[in-house]
Amino acid sequence: MLQFIFKRLIVIIPMALVVVTVTWGLIRTAPGNFYSTEKKLPPAIEKNIKEKYGLDKPWYVQYGKLMGNIIRLDFGDSLKYEGQSVNEIIWRHLPYSATIGFLAYLVALLIGLTAGIIAALRQNSAFDYSSMALSMLGLSVPNFVLGPILVLIFALWLFWLPPARWGGVSSVVMPVITLAAVYAAYIARLTRAGMLEVLRSDYIRTARAKGLDEKTVLLKHALRGGIIPVVSFTGPALASLLAGTVVVERVFAIPGLGNIFIQSVLNRDEPLILGIVAFLSILVMIFNLIVDISYGYLDPRIRYE
Amino acid sequence: MTRIFAGRTRLGVAIVSLCLLAAGCSTTATTKYWGQVEAPDDNVLRYITGSEPESLDPSFVTGQPEARILIGLFDRLVEYHPKTMQPIPSMATHWEVSDDGIDYTFHLRKNGKYSNGDPITAKDFEWSFKRALSPELASRYAFIGFEIKYAEQYNAKQSFAKKDGKFLNADENGEPLDSCDVDGPACLTLAADEESLAKIKKDNAELATRIEGAEFVEIKPDDIGVNATDDYTLEVTLKQPAPYFVGMLTHQFFAAVHRPTIEKHGKNWIKPENIVTSGAFKVEEWKPYDEMTIVRDPNYWDAKNVKLDAVKFYPMDEQTTMMNIYKAGRVDALYNHTVPAAWNEFIRQFKDEYLLHPEVTIEYYTFSVKKKPFDNLDVRKAFSLAVNRESLEVLRKTVKKSADFVPLGIFPEYEKARTKVFAELSEKDGITPEQMQKRLFDPTAACAHMKKAGYSVQMTGSDKCKVTDFPLDGVELSYNTAESNKQVAEFVQSQWQQNLGLTIPLKNMEFKTYLPYRSAIEYKGVARAGWVGDFMDPYTFLSQFYTEANDSSTGWWDPVYDKMLDDANKTLDPEKRYEKLAEAEYYVLKDQPVMPLSVAGTSWMKKPYVKGMYPNPGTMHPWKFVYIEKDRAKWDQNVDKIMTEQSDPAIDAEVAALMKSQLDFERANASKSEEGGEDEETDKTE
Repeated sequence: MLQFIFKRLIVIIPMALVVVTVTWGLIRTAPGNFYSTEKKLPPAIEKNIKEKYGLDKPWYVQYGKLMGNIIRLDFGDSLKYEGQSVNEIIWRHLPYSATIGFLAYLVALLIGLTAGIIAALRQNSAFDYSSMALSMLGLSVPNFVLGPILVLIFALWLFWLPPARWGGVSSVVMPVITLAAVYAAYIARLTRAGMLEVLRSDYIRTARAKGLDEKTVLLKHALRGGIIPVVSFTGPALASLLAGTVVVERVFAIPGLGNIFIQSVLNRDEPLILGIVAFLSILVMIFNLIVDISYGYLDPRIRYE
Repeated sequence: MTRIFAGRTRLGVAIVSLCLLAAGCSTTATTKYWGQVEAPDDNVLRYITGSEPESLDPSFVTGQPEARILIGLFDRLVEYHPKTMQPIPSMATHWEVSDDGIDYTFHLRKNGKYSNGDPITAKDFEWSFKRALSPELASRYAFIGFEIKYAEQYNAKQSFAKKDGKFLNADENGEPLDSCDVDGPACLTLAADEESLAKIKKDNAELATRIEGAEFVEIKPDDIGVNATDDYTLEVTLKQPAPYFVGMLTHQFFAAVHRPTIEKHGKNWIKPENIVTSGAFKVEEWKPYDEMTIVRDPNYWDAKNVKLDAVKFYPMDEQTTMMNIYKAGRVDALYNHTVPAAWNEFIRQFKDEYLLHPEVTIEYYTFSVKKKPFDNLDVRKAFSLAVNRESLEVLRKTVKKSADFVPLGIFPEYEKARTKVFAELSEKDGITPEQMQKRLFDPTAACAHMKKAGYSVQMTGSDKCKVTDFPLDGVELSYNTAESNKQVAEFVQSQWQQNLGLTIPLKNMEFKTYLPYRSAIEYKGVARAGWVGDFMDPYTFLSQFYTEANDSSTGWWDPVYDKMLDDANKTLDPEKRYEKLAEAEYYVLKDQPVMPLSVAGTSWMKKPYVKGMYPNPGTMHPWKFVYIEKDRAKWDQNVDKIMTEQSDPAIDAEVAALMKSQLDFERANASKSEEGGEDEETDKTE
């Protein structure tokens, strides 16, 4: 088990370097740069800028320096935001995204699991149909539609909640619901399907035959197997949720990492783009690892070699 | 069963909400104001200025979001008039210009203070200017200071050439010079690194012989034309006359920064815990991407006239989010172009809140004049004449049609001169006033030009035609991706289709990809451009075509035009100067390297209780004039007239009081020079 974790951890760093290298190549092939504006710069000013940021050096020197920095987990300073280091920016904005992402996933789990389990237990009932129809709706309405509709009703018509910006519990409600909707819908469907499959399996029949009461059968035996699809989904979903979601953060003007990320790309802020990409890729890999480990606890058939 | 019913109820609730929502919309439309309007209890203005500021270093930043914040934080020699954006005294109480228009002397007030209580002196301005221009700072906006003598050369790390103990003269026939003092004749300057010297050797034999054996003396900050003669007098020497120079000094690039803070903290000097500012407000809190709060600074020299206790800036990028937050009454004012195009019709009925005024911005299309088919003047004329700008104005709703390059509605004195000059010159060229008027749209003439250019033209209507052999494969209309740019491009495309029978393909690109594409003139034929004036003078537009390395992205350059602008700037009488500038504008438009389309409009909103804030041409607000009016009876009404009929006596008086020192000084000077010219010199040296 420990060996398995160790092996996986070892792979993370080179994988992140590969991701960063590919991203770096993509940025470099994209035209434009962080200092270009509507006004053309005199060549001398452009030269000063290149000298100041080391962009006058050959590409391999710049690449080497970048890789050296990344291994030390230091991404240098943002090009756009004078005097702010990439690490500082990431750690400053991560909590906003993480709060909203975590709350949204919690809400999604609560709604999704409950609805999914009940729907599976009462297959083909009215609840099953209506909840699955609702989840279909949740899946098909994109968050950039749901968000503004919520804003329209609760912020601009009823004036109950602030339409945007961070600050206090009330400001979190709409972003969390907007973000949670699609995940709740997906989890409900995954749970239902997983539970239905497990409920028909032999070991559940055995459990029932043993004379266990329905509650134990469900919670101790069926649920563990039934939610495995949800667990596999949780890894990448949670990673991307915690690290920020572009649309919701922009619609609600939340100072999260997703908002910063999209802006850094538009600004051609190379160190910041690379820093966030590296951070995200490491986060996704770690969450996947956690998911893989948790399989062992949920399904006794899975063993780590 | 109950569950299904529950589902139905939910659906019912949703439908009811939607109906109520629709009702809500219609009720808002009939009320006077849009959304929540309630003056806040405190004296704090909550404002949206656009994206997150990239820095708070006034000499370094370039964007408008930052510029608006920095107006509050850093004082300059002069500041914006809240309505016209023309310079009015700030740290400088008055200033004078030498007769040749080269030397400027600024007299500073003695009670200027930084936020930490240190006095602001002329020496601080000298240091601030020199730092802003230094190659080490690598400011993108350094070019705005290049009117100052040797500033450009210092920024480009150039050197003087010294031979036999004397400096070479910039004028090749001139005598060698003992020193390169700013008051003397200009010394020769050149880039003296090996690469540049090798290039000179290869390309410019004459210069190479001149500098052979010379030693190169790098240009130092002390060599440039900025000099504090005492604590309260700052002398600036320009490389050539630039009557717009004082106007440029309103820009944050020329603000006073605090030397000890910068020397102590380096790049971290802008952090809230370190920063020392010089303006009416100081930094209280900065939460990036969330909020920046600036509060009134009691050390500011005019603190008694600062009405707001604080301004809160909320960085934001989504237009609809800004509008939502405004409607919910959680901000008091927005920046320019915040009203989405699709909302315009609805929003403009809120006459007490919506501000649409001409902006110091021209929107136009450039032609690639060195490549076929737009190397032909007739083709350029035809394409320009075939677009109905009147309809464009109707379509866009926020812009005003324009066939001229210097925007209309911004420089009234210049416009007077232009009307006169254009009438004279066109008459000379045999162009009728009607034809001049029809530069905005004249399809018949467009067809005639295409014919003249040698293309086969079939008339398809009384004023429409079809050009059959125009090389369409090499032509595209390029623009940077944005909803409004797309709308204009599609409109222009359809105009060319209708009036010339030509379908020009459209090509859109992401902004940062588009910029180098356009400036390298890689585009095929036609490209979209917009120019926001850097300072309040027509020259900021006309200089777009100045010198061979100009910024017009067309390939157009004409030494005659350069000379016309130089002559104009050497003219000290403003009226005559405007006439000369208008002649230059006529000259460049005659060659049509660009086709002007429209003058942009400001298009923003403020709550009626926000006073002292005007829709000026650049949406730059000197915050010290802004205040919150709690008395409902005094709230702004019909802000269409806010710039003209509706005056705010308190603010007008305040601005007049500030302007008095300079006007008095000018008047005194004028009466003295009437009494006898000899006295003038002695006055100036006082």
